[in-house]
Amino acid sequence: MNAFESSLLWLTNHGYQILLAGLVIAFLVRKPQARRAIVRAFLIFGGIVVGAVFIAAAYGKMKPPVGFAWSPASLKISLAWFAMQVDSYQVLPPRSVNAVAHFLPYFELFLGLWLITGIARRFSALLASLSLCGFMIAITSAYFRGLKIDCGCGVGPAEQVGPDALLRDGLKFLLPAVLVVIGSFWIRGKGRANESPAPEMISSGPSTN
Amino acid sequence: MIADYVASGKVYLVHHDFPLPAHMYGYQAARWLNAAARVGQFQNVEAALYDNQNSWQADGNIEKFVAAAVPAGDFKRIQKQMVGCEYQGPAGTKPASLRTDPQATHGCALDSYIEQDRALGMKIPVQATPTYVITYKGQKLPAGSGNVSWPILKQFFDSLLSQ
Repeated sequence: MNAFESSLLWLTNHGYQILLAGLVIAFLVRKPQARRAIVRAFLIFGGIVVGAVFIAAAYGKMKPPVGFAWSPASLKISLAWFAMQVDSYQVLPPRSVNAVAHFLPYFELFLGLWLITGIARRFSALLASLSLCGFMIAITSAYFRGLKIDCGCGVGPAEQVGPDALLRDGLKFLLPAVLVVIGSFWIRGKGRANESPAPEMISSGPSTN
Repeated sequence: MIADYVASGKVYLVHHDFPLPAHMYGYQAARWLNAAARVGQFQNVEAALYDNQNSWQADGNIEKFVAAAVPAGDFKRIQKQMVGCEYQGPAGTKPASLRTDPQATHGCALDSYIEQDRALGMKIPVQATPTYVITYKGQKLPAGSGNVSWPILKQFFDSLLSQ
């Protein structure tokens, strides 16, 4: 495992713990300005954590199999392998399986990079949360249909669909994404409240009486 | 797959046994299959056992379907291979190495093949039906499981073979 993979794995495994600690600290701080500064800092970190999850997922699906070097041909093999994992969910016809298998890793890579840049973070985090909900619904569906298949998540070691995969996705991936969504909208709301004049200022204009 | 890829030598299909204790006659079916393989009738018997699984797993009469799937001469040769491999009740479904009953001492010559396959399966480890392991130029890809439709599996083979 190279340093890039190790860093991604560390962020996907432990990032949520740091974000939860940030949430507790933000609650404990009384001063509004200090609280906003803390939330802003943790939002930047949260974006990196959730971005790392998506980049790790894309990397896991695109990386060459053991014994192959990175090349267009190896990418073709990896995506064909991922198509087999998508197909094993037994939800889509082969043509749609291929479309999903060849779109999803690039979408995850794009979303991961978008989250890390911090541009319109509330929307990227919202899209990430919705995507994660979609993945969790697919895993739940496969589990309740009695399928014993690899979840094809691409993050960390292979994991079978079931409660463990759901718990991991929910706690380590979805929770940080939702926290970033809530935090981003909260900061946005506070910013707007500060920009607009206070109600007493509006009513304290020159009186015509 | 056999017609398009195995017959032309592009893909080697290797069958491994992994009878599960939950299937009462699974171990016995694996014995019949290995006996058939020894007389060159693996493919016919495997197809017959898959096609009639619901029937023989209810009453354990596997022999009937083996007999129907191969020429009479080959069936006699298969029966010879099966001497000492008769079904011995639920205890017979256990791996030979775990059996403690006296009948296990003379054993079944075919069990060693099944046990070797089981050991390989435990190494993977096999956790689902079907499980497949694809090896390309000596490199083992991670084990996969679950049903995969032929167009998607074919696409994967083509991507490997185009290397």
